[in-house]
Amino acid sequence: MPRALTTEFRKLATVRSPWLLLALGPLTVVAGISGLVASGGNVHDPALPGKAFAHVGLAAIFTLVFGILAVAGEYSRGTITDTFLSFPGRRSVITAKLAACGAVGAAAGLVSAGTALVVTAAWWSAKGGTFHLSAADTWRTLGGGVAANVAFAAIGVGVGALVRNLAAAVTAALAWVAVVEGILGQLIGSGLARWLPFSASESLDRASLTSSSGLLSRGLLAQWDGGLVMLGYTVAFAAAAVLITLKRDVT
Amino acid sequence: MTDVVARGLTKTFGRVTAVRDMSFTAPAGTITGFLGPNGSGKTTTLRMALGLVQPTGGDVLIGGVPYARLAHPRRRVGALLEATGFHPGRRARDHLRVLAAAERIPDRRVDEVLGQVDLAEAAGRRVRGFSLGMRQRLGIAAALLGDPEVLLLDEPVNGLDPAGIAWLRGLLRRLAAEGRTILLASHLLGEIAQTADHVLIVSSGQLRFAGPLREIGETNEALESAFLDLT
Repeated sequence: MPRALTTEFRKLATVRSPWLLLALGPLTVVAGISGLVASGGNVHDPALPGKAFAHVGLAAIFTLVFGILAVAGEYSRGTITDTFLSFPGRRSVITAKLAACGAVGAAAGLVSAGTALVVTAAWWSAKGGTFHLSAADTWRTLGGGVAANVAFAAIGVGVGALVRNLAAAVTAALAWVAVVEGILGQLIGSGLARWLPFSASESLDRASLTSSSGLLSRGLLAQWDGGLVMLGYTVAFAAAAVLITLKRDVT
Repeated sequence: MTDVVARGLTKTFGRVTAVRDMSFTAPAGTITGFLGPNGSGKTTTLRMALGLVQPTGGDVLIGGVPYARLAHPRRRVGALLEATGFHPGRRARDHLRVLAAAERIPDRRVDEVLGQVDLAEAAGRRVRGFSLGMRQRLGIAAALLGDPEVLLLDEPVNGLDPAGIAWLRGLLRRLAAEGRTILLASHLLGEIAQTADHVLIVSSGQLRFAGPLREIGETNEALESAFLDLT
């Protein structure tokens, strides 16, 4: 394994906070699916399992913050100085962070997907409903959710490199997801709004299924298109992260 | 034998010139004291030497090569910088293991330097609970980790108690006697007077004196009056 990647994994393995953060993903899935059933969801409705599985994509908000923490956390605590002393070329630092956070994002997404399957199976059997694992929709929704977890982890690395202040970076990212993109989307119209990152991720992970009348659920891209758009954003953020990191003075 | 050589080093931040046309050599086998008032450009100079800050002009060569082009920087150069941080939730030994991973340095060496800075018993504790002096010792352990032939240290005695200061002085003398190059930035004249062979005195980003300590006065008082004249 490249030395920069070993270093990143060792950093992650020796602190607790990022793992506590990621644990919120499966917890969100459990709460979300339970809420879906408890709020009167009909387990005999064939569309309901898809809505349950779409919660995997929502857990990506935590891999986003995880990615931000991996970079902005180092700037905030000053450990970035030691990191750049080890790898003065710096490019390897960012690529290693992208790889490590992407891998952890994938693992977190898979855990959330597994959790979604188990929780859904438990609720459906408790309520006497049946759902079919073989449904193409199941795997499309779960797969899209895992992909969103990976993409957001990598985008988080980019956001953290661009906005080095940890609090500012997390606030900016969450504000974008919760408020800014919705308002911007209304200003530019849904034809353009569906290309914005959170809307694109909604089509990728089919999170729109979880809110039947959400502002953003109208006029989304097809899942594959959403995935390609997310790939584009991920590459753009990664490239920006590398470029800005190479140039900047660390004082 | 690895000298540290600055050639016409200059750094401007906006309209402020932090370092102006600085040239000096810190020869191998000696302790070079780097003296100057707060804000005189010492830290910026060290950060440029370590590739953390891009010079506006000039460069610093370590054994003839800029830091950023060293193949194994941690095995060649050890650095202690003031703003170097720790993750408060990481254990001291793990902090060093993270740095060791960059050069595939074995855990055995991590334990060795922990013993050397007298932190063996605190190795399993999270840095959150460390005193300033213990953090400083951990930073010194990090600098020693790769057994480097060059040490660049920024205010290393900060937070150390008198016994710690005496220990560090002895350690640096021993390392210099082995032929290593030590550049020791400080604003504590007494510390430099007792430790250094050569001195560089900077003020407002400009080099005011470079030469053997004995030329300027080996006692604290002599060094102080020279320092105050020059800065």
